[in-house]
Amino acid sequence: MNLIGSARFGGKLLMLLVLCLFTFSAVVAQDIAIKGKVTDGGGMGIPGVNVLVKGTTKGTTTDIEGTYEVSASSNATLVFSFIGYETREVSVGGKSVVDVTLSDNVTALNEVVVTAMGIERSAKSLTYSTQKIDGKQLTDVRDANFVNTLSGKVAGLVVTQGSSGPGSATRVVLRGNRSIGGSNNALFVVDGVPIDNSVGSQVGSDFGGRNRSDGAANINPDDIESMNVLKGAAASALYGSRAANGVIMITTKKGKAGKVSADINSGVVVETPFLLPSFQNTYGQGAGGKSETNSASSWGAPATTFPNNIRDFYRDAVSTNNSIGVSTGSEKTQTYLSYTHNGNQGIIPNNTLQRHTMNLRINSQVTKRLSVDGKITYVNQDINNKPYSGENSGPIMNLLKLPRSVDLNQYKDYQDENGNPTYWASSSIYMNPHWTLNKTFSSERRDRSTILGSAKYDITDWLNVQGRISYDTYVDEYRNGWSDKTLLYAARGGNYEHFIGKRLERNLDLIISGNNKISEDFSVTYNVGAGQTYQRYGETGGIATGLSVTNKFDLNFATNLTRVATFNEKEVQYVFGTASVSFRDYLTVDASVRNDWSSTLPAPHSYLYSAFGANFILSDAVQLPQWISFAKVRGSWAQVGNDTSPYQLDQSYTYAPGGLIGYVSRGVTRVADNLKPEISSSTEFGVDFRILNNRLGLDVTYYNSNTVNQLLSLSLATASGFSSQFINAGKINNEGVEIVLSGSPVRNDNISWETALNFARNVNTIIELHPDIEKAYISGGIGRTAGPVVSKGGSYGDMYGYTWLRDAQGRYVVGANGAPLVGPEGKIGNFNPKFTLGWNNTVNYKNFVLSVLVDGRVGGTMTSGTEANLAYDGTADYTTEHRDGGWVLDAVTAEGQQNNVAINAETFWQTVSQGRYSWGEFFTYSTTNFRLRELSVGYNIPVPESFFFKNMRLSLTARNLFFLYRGYAKMDIPGMSTKRKLSFDPDMSLGAGNYQGVDYGNLPSTRTVGLNLKLGF
Amino acid sequence: MINPKLFKRNIEVIMKINQSSIINKSATALFIGLLGFSTSCTDDFKKMNTNPTAIIELTNNEYPAVFSRALAAGSYHPSFQTAQNLFADLYAQYYATTTGNFQSDRFFMHMGWAAGSHWNPIYTGVVPQLMTVMDNFDANTPENALANIWWAFSFSRLTDYYGPVPYFDAGIPARGVKYDSQEAIYDDFFKRVTAAVAVLEQHKSAKPFATGDIIYKGDVNKWIKFANTFRLRCALRISKADPARAKAEAEAAVKAGILEIGADNAMMVRTAINSGDGNGISRIAGWGEFRMSATMESILKGYNDPRMVEFFQPAFNTGTYEGLRNGLNPAQLALPLNLNDNNSNVGARWIRNTGAGSGWENLYAVPASIMHTSEAYFLRAEGALNGWDMNGEAKDLYEQGIRLSMEQWGFTGDAVEKYIQGTTPPVAPGDAMNSAPVTTIPVKWGASEAIQREQIGTQKWLALFPDGFEAWAEYRRSRFPKLYPVVNSVNEDVPAGQVLRRFPFLDAEKNTNKPAVDAAVSLLNGEDKASTPLWWDKN
Repeated sequence: MNLIGSARFGGKLLMLLVLCLFTFSAVVAQDIAIKGKVTDGGGMGIPGVNVLVKGTTKGTTTDIEGTYEVSASSNATLVFSFIGYETREVSVGGKSVVDVTLSDNVTALNEVVVTAMGIERSAKSLTYSTQKIDGKQLTDVRDANFVNTLSGKVAGLVVTQGSSGPGSATRVVLRGNRSIGGSNNALFVVDGVPIDNSVGSQVGSDFGGRNRSDGAANINPDDIESMNVLKGAAASALYGSRAANGVIMITTKKGKAGKVSADINSGVVVETPFLLPSFQNTYGQGAGGKSETNSASSWGAPATTFPNNIRDFYRDAVSTNNSIGVSTGSEKTQTYLSYTHNGNQGIIPNNTLQRHTMNLRINSQVTKRLSVDGKITYVNQDINNKPYSGENSGPIMNLLKLPRSVDLNQYKDYQDENGNPTYWASSSIYMNPHWTLNKTFSSERRDRSTILGSAKYDITDWLNVQGRISYDTYVDEYRNGWSDKTLLYAARGGNYEHFIGKRLERNLDLIISGNNKISEDFSVTYNVGAGQTYQRYGETGGIATGLSVTNKFDLNFATNLTRVATFNEKEVQYVFGTASVSFRDYLTVDASVRNDWSSTLPAPHSYLYSAFGANFILSDAVQLPQWISFAKVRGSWAQVGNDTSPYQLDQSYTYAPGGLIGYVSRGVTRVADNLKPEISSSTEFGVDFRILNNRLGLDVTYYNSNTVNQLLSLSLATASGFSSQFINAGKINNEGVEIVLSGSPVRNDNISWETALNFARNVNTIIELHPDIEKAYISGGIGRTAGPVVSKGGSYGDMYGYTWLRDAQGRYVVGANGAPLVGPEGKIGNFNPKFTLGWNNTVNYKNFVLSVLVDGRVGGTMTSGTEANLAYDGTADYTTEHRDGGWVLDAVTAEGQQNNVAINAETFWQTVSQGRYSWGEFFTYSTTNFRLRELSVGYNIPVPESFFFKNMRLSLTARNLFFLYRGYAKMDIPGMSTKRKLSFDPDMSLGAGNYQGVDYGNLPSTRTVGLNLKLGF
Repeated sequence: MINPKLFKRNIEVIMKINQSSIINKSATALFIGLLGFSTSCTDDFKKMNTNPTAIIELTNNEYPAVFSRALAAGSYHPSFQTAQNLFADLYAQYYATTTGNFQSDRFFMHMGWAAGSHWNPIYTGVVPQLMTVMDNFDANTPENALANIWWAFSFSRLTDYYGPVPYFDAGIPARGVKYDSQEAIYDDFFKRVTAAVAVLEQHKSAKPFATGDIIYKGDVNKWIKFANTFRLRCALRISKADPARAKAEAEAAVKAGILEIGADNAMMVRTAINSGDGNGISRIAGWGEFRMSATMESILKGYNDPRMVEFFQPAFNTGTYEGLRNGLNPAQLALPLNLNDNNSNVGARWIRNTGAGSGWENLYAVPASIMHTSEAYFLRAEGALNGWDMNGEAKDLYEQGIRLSMEQWGFTGDAVEKYIQGTTPPVAPGDAMNSAPVTTIPVKWGASEAIQREQIGTQKWLALFPDGFEAWAEYRRSRFPKLYPVVNSVNEDVPAGQVLRRFPFLDAEKNTNKPAVDAAVSLLNGEDKASTPLWWDKN
């Protein structure tokens, strides 16, 4: 066996062996034997920790369970150190057992981080900001889509989840929105290779719909070793266009050399609605103060109400996750095999998600110079009855239309003896939600395989070549059915849809990497490479409008069948080079360049961009006062180019069935005259400063990025025959600051407290749009409630809606009847927070670990079509005020006279709401909120030496426990004493696309409480 | 922050590395090699970036389907509701809204609906398709003539909503497109249609777009009659704005041959492959958002009109024919008499009730009305009263118009003749607002010209049903039939009791075509408001 060769591959093993030799040679001295276990913050043993007897050369390393044995004098001091953890000195003090907990150290100096293309670098030498998250931080407090659990943990990251229950896609935005027409989502890279994170179709208007699942949700948090967030262009430039929105780099677990070990994780959580609207419980069904039994609203006389009729419809959803990961390996070959099952329930009674994930990873040192790494991940996911949200007849709006005096239990029989739907009123679109549950269905199935193979050959000690190939392919099958007599959706016999979508992404690359020590002072590392990314998506299916056999949900029974077929593919080829020169390890200069060729751009298809950066470690260069442990400044400038989606170059005609022979129509988007790639450039400066033996750290980053020549389709005057044109236009600026303050206020043998506070502020300005275009709607218009708009001088996320008419002096205007008059469409808010805060705390005390995450956002708005409906119907709590009239609004008439006409609440709310199409300004809420995001208490159960399990840990976890603060409606309505409080969770969005800022029948977010058991053997 | 000296030294070091043999050479060679590899592989990029699900080059096989699309888009499918039903159909008082949310019945001008459903389908659904046809069939072909006729017909529905619209430069790719005055647009309608008819007269046996013509299956003779009747319609429309031109155009149109018999009716037929195609009324009538208007109820019941049972069906709860007033507010709509199930939905030819008020079967394949022959007779009757040569007496033409309308809905013989001689006036509809009869005139031809004009207007209104576009336009021109004032208005420019004259210029246009919209205001007879009359509206 070639010890040296395999040890190069597994550095820890080498250390272990070398230090073992030390240990054996040191046995001569007459000392006492000291045993102990070194554990991490989560109570897990850390293998490979260096244990050194201070002042001597004696020492050892911990074994696979984290235990060690060393001999030293009884008054010796032991020094425990390991990469990624704080070094600790512990005096033996005559004890024969010394157990030590090492804290994870985000500020660890020798930390190695995985950067773009999977290139590992020392964190210290980076010229840009990154933020690392340990895998363990993602597996305690869980969510069906692990991406949601990133909230509050990374400065500058904003997560919004789609409103379709478990498996709904999530939007992850780093450092602000920059793309109008394209995605603003961060790129997910697993083990160096991008994975497909297509979000599929997302709800793009407040009419609503059902969001498809994203790709990232399929990543199994149990398989994640660590995660590194590359926020800026400098960090991500090597990934090219797809990384313009930042990258979330995930490194998955590998097998470890040594004996077999296994980790079992088993958890159960209960989810309940976190925040529901506040309802009045005084007045019943009816209008004008009179009771009416078939009224859709609650403006009737005082009546017996059912305070919990909305809440009781939702269930306490129970979800389980069970995983086992087995690691085994010889010195040459290591294997990691895991299986995870997630069984999730949504709070809508029939909404479920089942997911099985199998993951096999094998790495092998084939020869002294050649190593290979292979991984296969298979995911099988089955989601049933994702709820529709939005105005249309989904379970949520159907439920919220319930009058206060109606007992929903009476409507559990959702059909009468003739099979007709039962309902408490007459409605053109809303139905009994029990009908929706029982008589409509949806099913979404996914089979996904991700395969990665890589080989690395060491040409010399300092030069290696690595080749990688990955395939990420999946098939999604969608089936949706609506029984006969379902309003809006069912033609005679019922409606049915069936689609099958197939997606493929292939990545190939070849990278040559080297590093050389040029002289005593200079060292250089460099990479050159080339690669290719190919993506393909095709979907076929049919829509049956009417079924010849009632409720026989199969396309064979379609009375009217519309076929659907879509296809697109694209390929990007690239070459890149990067070099980094270090002087005495305290000054590093980086440069990288990449050229892309994209099939979506006109010939020559090519664009080039580059990045430069430098850092200077002050604390290594000059003698600083003792209390300063580390000080570094860094700066970088980078460009990232971006191509576009396929088929934007030819003016084409489409075919649609209908009429006698079908319809052929010219596309309504005019192709670009001369399409150029989009370029985003950014500048970043940062300082990293640590004092008091690394007990307090401050990391500050300032960035400024400009995205120009955006490829987007902007509205044209449709009189030109085109509704939009694909153009290069615009300049969007994002400027911001990220601050991470970390510290260890308490650190002794019994108790340690690690705390980290992150803060991010982003300011977005649309500097230019297009000379002829003042503003453009992201979703086509203001819809029913409000809509996001981009306009010159505005900010991404500006929301427009109808307003309350004001006169020249800014006074509110009412009509002759004393009720508000509608004003022009205007800006009523912005969906982005002004800043975000996250505060993470971990306290270790003996066998207990407590972690607390508080996070919040300040600023930003959402406009609520839900509230507009509740106000219209008289079910919202604030509609009790002025029910009996006498409400003279402090406003003027159109003629400028002070208003003196009294109205009542019903007139007011029905005027400003109009039900489904509301005057958005009245229902716009500040989304400022702070909450106890995560809380977990873990207990490491002491296990006897010989016990089968080597470690056991039980945690009690909770997510979204309560709000510390939430905002209010932006408009103070004159004469109203009640302040309307934010009644929906702004984390929840109708969809995960660029259409944001509207709540309309959104699924409530959930409070999660659970138990988690981890076993290791 | 960066020491320039240090930086320079580092650069020098990099240069040295570059000169230093092995790394440099192998790396450069590799880089160049990979570059070569990549560029040579972009050869198939063009093919890869060609959309397999779209048509890049049209052939003769596709043009009939291109024309089909123009015909269908001109009648606003599938956006029928927000293009026509929630505006023109309500303003013509064929129906009233039963849903409090829909404020257009209270004169709220929903810009988004009008832009997306009414304006855009003309400019992006009709115009590009017709221009494609005109570009590929020269001016002397019957295909080109059909495209020009449909162009004029489609734009008439557009200009009669707003007044000035982009017309002469429509479909020309540009950042902004200027608006043209309604007078100039109508002038072009006459010229364009006359020229098209001249071409068609040369090709009477041709079958242009026979497979894709979803109105007349390529029957040139019927298209000639349709075009001339449209010309006659336009002539009546401008009869107060430009009486001399109106007379000349009307007389020429009648001479050139207009719609005469029931078989000439212009009806658009679709095979209803999906619900997004099909008849617009059938598509939306099951949503329970509109019911028969009190105006309809007053007139149909008063005249004991046989067509009532075809136009409408009994209210679900009562089994009787009931209507409600236009412009009710949410509180009024909550009154029992105004609920959906207590009022009449459209007739069973469009939608059949299968129970419980919410179970409806949509009959998408029912032909949609484009122009009825009966209209031609009412136009001639009015022209005759104007003193024009309409090849007939006003009374005869009026009565023949009624006969043709009745025939269209399945009524002939004695019942129709009895109706024509009917002397009963409209009745009080017995609605929640306790409304009086909407007017006093009977069917039987009256003695005075004033009564005769109202009778022609009223019967034409009935005969046009369900074409709310034309009915609203003709109401604004002639103020017939007499309609109830809306009960409430939320529009400060058009209070209840006044007439809504037009649709203001759209917000979407102000965002994308602002200079042209600003300039267009001067082409109006006043401010850009819903209360400003169109050029041909001299009331």
